[in-house]
Amino acid sequence: MRLIICASIAALASTVSMTAQAQARADASLKEDYIRAELPPGFQVVYTELEGPVYADPNGKTLYKWPYQSLRNGYVGDEKGKSVCTDTVSRTSAGLMSPYPPGLVLPNLDTRPSCTQMWPPALAGENAQPVGKWTFITREDGSRQWAYEGQALYTSALDAQAGDVLAGTSRSRRGMRHPAAREPIRPLPNVPPGFMVVTTFKGRMLVNREGYSVYVSDKDTANASNCDEQCTQVWKPVLAPALAKPQGEWSVIQRAPGVLQWAFRSQPLYTYARDIRLYTQKGSDEPGWHNVYTQLSPAIPDVFQLIDTQVGVAVGNAEGKTVYAYTCADDALDQLSCDYPGEPNVYRLAICGGGNVDRCLKRWPYVTAAAGATSNSRAWSIITIDPRTGHLAKPDAEGALRVWAYRGRPLYTYERDAPGDIKGNAMGEWSGMRNGFIALWVREDFAGNDT
Amino acid sequence: MNVLADRRHDGWRKEILGVAALAPLMLACAVNAAPVDGKIAYLTTDFHWSVYQTADGKAECPQGLVEHGPREVFTELFPSGGTEIDTHLKREALKYFPEDTQDPFPYPEAVGPIAIGLNLDDKVGPLDFTSPEGEAGIDNQLFRVIGCSRQFRGPEGQLQLFANRGIRTDLNNRSVIELSGVDSLENDDEVQVTVYRGLDRHLTDASGANIMPGGTQRIDWRFGKKYIQHMTGRIIDGVLHTDPIDTLVVPWGIFPGTFGEFMFRGAKLRLEIDDQKAVGVIGGYADIETYYRTLTNWSTHHLAYGQLDPSGFYRKMRELADGYPDEEGTMSAISSSLRIDMVQVYLDHSDPARPAQQAQR
Repeated sequence: MRLIICASIAALASTVSMTAQAQARADASLKEDYIRAELPPGFQVVYTELEGPVYADPNGKTLYKWPYQSLRNGYVGDEKGKSVCTDTVSRTSAGLMSPYPPGLVLPNLDTRPSCTQMWPPALAGENAQPVGKWTFITREDGSRQWAYEGQALYTSALDAQAGDVLAGTSRSRRGMRHPAAREPIRPLPNVPPGFMVVTTFKGRMLVNREGYSVYVSDKDTANASNCDEQCTQVWKPVLAPALAKPQGEWSVIQRAPGVLQWAFRSQPLYTYARDIRLYTQKGSDEPGWHNVYTQLSPAIPDVFQLIDTQVGVAVGNAEGKTVYAYTCADDALDQLSCDYPGEPNVYRLAICGGGNVDRCLKRWPYVTAAAGATSNSRAWSIITIDPRTGHLAKPDAEGALRVWAYRGRPLYTYERDAPGDIKGNAMGEWSGMRNGFIALWVREDFAGNDT
Repeated sequence: MNVLADRRHDGWRKEILGVAALAPLMLACAVNAAPVDGKIAYLTTDFHWSVYQTADGKAECPQGLVEHGPREVFTELFPSGGTEIDTHLKREALKYFPEDTQDPFPYPEAVGPIAIGLNLDDKVGPLDFTSPEGEAGIDNQLFRVIGCSRQFRGPEGQLQLFANRGIRTDLNNRSVIELSGVDSLENDDEVQVTVYRGLDRHLTDASGANIMPGGTQRIDWRFGKKYIQHMTGRIIDGVLHTDPIDTLVVPWGIFPGTFGEFMFRGAKLRLEIDDQKAVGVIGGYADIETYYRTLTNWSTHHLAYGQLDPSGFYRKMRELADGYPDEEGTMSAISSSLRIDMVQVYLDHSDPARPAQQAQR
């Protein structure tokens, strides 16, 4: 009887422990820990919903860099120690988008901003001093601009408040990132050597140093692995070196004498032997196994659902039709975006309607929001759009639509899709990444080559 | 003299001769014996659009090759440049609304009498080709569209080279067929054919360059559900002939991450099979919108390499379409043929399917 009671207590404790871990795993309030480093006075780390902790200026505005990178016919961006973002308004295309030649007159020249109007340089005061990785570059006008690891820093005119990261993402190109994108800068995540954190739709995902996803099991209890010999044929414990020490949210468990395993937030970590690609969620298909996130993204609003397509999981509308975002950067040397409401609409109209607004609205209808619908996050929002111009409109404006937006951009469905189809995916220039539509991918099991 | 030894030796010699005489038969038996449980599976290693090519191309392309690709068209239409809206964006718009095209540029067609493919309608018509082996009634109007395009001509055409490379490198493109109810790989009057998408890499030799038979593929029960398709057929003299299937969808993204697919109406397979490989063609009426959509996942930059102007290509496909009229009588598909190479694999049927909701955290 005593044995039964003890076993029951142990089982109950195990259940309680597992429940606590499951809750911790789904706890959206948990934030990514990062390594503290000295910052210039007033600069700060701000938590964002989609990018985790990022560096921000004294006003809380996210700081971005524009790394030097290749396009079809040349290079754009800042080399280290320089800034090519100036206050001169670009007037013609740069011919970076083969096969189209340079010198074509850009649209909306009367209202086109300069690079520095869209990307104000993070200027340093007269008395500012370099700190750690934070240094200066000297701009053409002699002013000093903050640089991080040698890379000139900017804020964005699109970001209005602390925690906004509307102007760039560290996600892959299929995650609404332009081919020649700016990206937020961030402190290093506080993870032991041998781990990385990558930005995904679901959140900041933990992977090993090669990029393979790591997983946790519901069967494990706090700092104890229940993955036996048969289990470890498929689930490989992530081993810790002999000198590994617990740090922050990280602990070390002993599997056998001299065999140590890393645990995160008390949950032992594993890789999945059947993962043949990087950054996957494949192992989470196994019952009781889960990917690991240092910080979760906000949940999708209830009006949306996750849908299976032939290449992974996408966000779908209430009818199960795939939801798309439009991504655009122009072909000028300063690579200004053209996908935010209010930016030139002609690029999108070319792809969605062949230049015809009515055809565009029919083929790529906005995802409209029901009266009274609200969002519980900033990543997902409801905006009011003038459908004829694609610009933001006042709520009471005639013909205005209330539409769902992600990262401040309106969302669309594609007329020719049936539920679960992705016929509209990658439609547009450079497979949709330059000027086109990309499905809101939650999980891409088939993107790109095998590893 | 050891008589016994001699007799023994003589006996061995007879046995050896006997075995040698039976060797071809034994080999044939080994190759074409009934597979275990009557099942055998094959994994796609190569896809090539069927283009019958002569050495200089003059027989099939007497008018020459297609010369008006995106760059050439742009130069002729806009010699002095212009605005982004009236030039670059106008051309990109045509890519997605090709029915708007008013381009006057020539698009040379390939001509017969020879083309690769199958007789899809069991008739011999005036527009039909003859196969290289002499079979009449070959339906492959797509050959007229692609046969004089550098994009499609081997060995270096972009859509032959890159698109085929993607079969091996992109998981999306892992088509598998499984034959079941097979009594003999030589002759069987009724077999079942099921199409799946696999989930594993190809098995290669130590060089990594050559794909070997005998690998294992898990079946993509979840995301590949739409690609699970069933056909019936028969094996005649080592060749699998399937009955037409109304719709066959083949996943084939021609650029990494673009997830394209091709849809064939009235599709048939004709494959030479043995216990190591399957080689032959898929014949069917390619759905034009699906074909064009997948093709234009390829960026204009890449299409420009082989002088393939998208709207010009679309116009020619529509002009030569010969199957599956829609409600208004417009042909929605074009007869076509795809060369396919496959190696034998073992299928792991065990991976269970899970709905999207289980992928939620």
